Amino acid sequence: MPVVTGLYLLYLAAPIVLLAVGSFGGAWTNTLLPTGVTLEWYRQVAADGSFRRAFGVSLWVCCATCLSTAAIGLPLAYAIYSASSRGVKVAARVLYLLPVAAPPLVLGFGFILVFSSDTLPFLGAPWLLVAGHVVLTLPYLMQTLVADMRHLDLATLETAAESLGAGFRPRLFDVVVPSLRSSLASGLIMVAALSIGEFQLSNLIAGFLSRPYPVVLLQAFYGATGFACAGTVVLLALAFLAAFASAAAGGGVRRRRASA
Amino acid sequence: MSIQVESLGFHYAPSHGAKQGAGLEGISLDIAPGEFCAVIGPSGCGKSTLLRLIAGFLSPEKGRIRIGGEDMAGVPARRRNLGIVFQNYALFPHMSVLENIAYPLKLRGVPRAERHRRAGEAAERTRLSDLADRLPSQLSGGQQQRVALARALVFAPRALLLDEPLSALDAAHRAAMRDEIRAVQREHGIATLHVTHDQEEALSIADRVAVMRGGRLLQHATPHELYDHPADRFVAGFVGHANLLAAKVTAPDEVSTPVGPLRTAPHGQPLGATLTAMIRPEAVRVLAADAEPDLPNRFAGHVSRDRFLGSLRRFDFSVAAVGKTMGGKTVGGEPIVGETSSREAITAIAIPPAAVHLLTDPSSTS
Repeated sequence: MPVVTGLYLLYLAAPIVLLAVGSFGGAWTNTLLPTGVTLEWYRQVAADGSFRRAFGVSLWVCCATCLSTAAIGLPLAYAIYSASSRGVKVAARVLYLLPVAAPPLVLGFGFILVFSSDTLPFLGAPWLLVAGHVVLTLPYLMQTLVADMRHLDLATLETAAESLGAGFRPRLFDVVVPSLRSSLASGLIMVAALSIGEFQLSNLIAGFLSRPYPVVLLQAFYGATGFACAGTVVLLALAFLAAFASAAAGGGVRRRRASA
Repeated sequence: MSIQVESLGFHYAPSHGAKQGAGLEGISLDIAPGEFCAVIGPSGCGKSTLLRLIAGFLSPEKGRIRIGGEDMAGVPARRRNLGIVFQNYALFPHMSVLENIAYPLKLRGVPRAERHRRAGEAAERTRLSDLADRLPSQLSGGQQQRVALARALVFAPRALLLDEPLSALDAAHRAAMRDEIRAVQREHGIATLHVTHDQEEALSIADRVAVMRGGRLLQHATPHELYDHPADRFVAGFVGHANLLAAKVTAPDEVSTPVGPLRTAPHGQPLGATLTAMIRPEAVRVLAADAEPDLPNRFAGHVSRDRFLGSLRRFDFSVAAVGKTMGGKTVGGEPIVGETSSREAITAIAIPPAAVHLLTDPSSTS
């Protein structure tokens, strides 16, 4: 078992290690490893206007997606959790999980069909990219929030607050939202990680000036290998940063659950 | 303040998930100021529904609920001013112990300094001062229970409702917390409704106990009254252990039962009436083999099942004259359950006539 695990980890890590090596290597043509060491590729990536713009777009889309999913996801998760009818709960759950089941490509074609018409000529608009990312990432935030609501037995906490004299607003802002702080943070960081790395849908619906980083990165693979590697390492660093933050927030939730 | 429940009726909608028709029917209950009333009954009997109706989380279809004489019809839960301790304590996980206790005062607009002073006093009374800054997740079950109790009492509620607050604790902590709850309740002198499925807990803690079954109140009496004079066969079997024997009146002081004729105290029941004879296990006397041969209700036989419970021993005694004899052993027949501290072999028992209680609901089963 340790051998299989080791081989699997090697299989996972090898492309990442090779990308890192390639990003710092000089020439890399018909050899196992590149020759020489350089920071030139990173300098070129930083100097490239389209990469700088794409980096900014990715951050902007990521922040807007996080804000939108939080604004939509929290009340929607609360509504689903609070729904008294089992049928409503199941229907809502199927609806919000649909984007996970449907490939982003399908969603992208749907967006093209709807938003490239004369009636709705919005294809390429930055806000449409955000809307697409929201559809793709919302299920992950919802799953985290609804699971935490169930685990916390939020309904009983609200009942307790009500018995102590709390109306709807105090219950919402003193009990519901603060109780979900950790899972909201954890879910949002997952949303951020997914949004930063999203390619399939973005490639179909992003406008030329609002292309996010992964879409622009694809162009790099038609140029120098080192440049492509450096560009990919930057994306990886962003994704790792989001994943670590997600793990840290998730760890906080797990610690709370373990001791609850 | 008192809690008065008059002819309360409530049924869950079929879509609720509860058994169709489950609910309450004709419940009337008076809990005097300072009185501790426990409500017991099997799962689904409606005891938690009763608490939720009094708390205002459900609305009755029939009847009235008065708290301190005030009709609660249309008064939402948050305006009833009742302290409630929930089964899982329902402490707010993001608030410290002190913040949890102070929260009801915050809702009532008590200034910050004042509410922290009062919450601190409540924490001190419940021995939580050293834990004031901790989060609920850092507390044991018993400590969380004390926080929930302090939070429910800090705003001087009109009555206290306890929804199986001890069920999540282990046996050792449960006994200690039982005494603690009673002490705190006495200190506050507040009318208390305590819902539990544990009849021992109810008998030991309450001034009066209400027994429910199938949404109806069967008996509301002091623990002694309930134990010694149960209203029917179900209450007799539910509250403590009891031998419940089908009986037919054969004389003014005698009934016939499956174990044989039983002398009773003069009972005033008509000849031929079918009843249930109840005998508590601790009333069964253990006799030496040849001792007191003329005692009424003396039975010879053997112990068919023996349970060692530490301070006492609970045994099933099969009466020799009743069962069939197979291989020298008596089998069949209804055993009589008895309790004794003796560890000697038991070959004879006696049931004092005064310990045979006749219950007039022979149609009731279980």
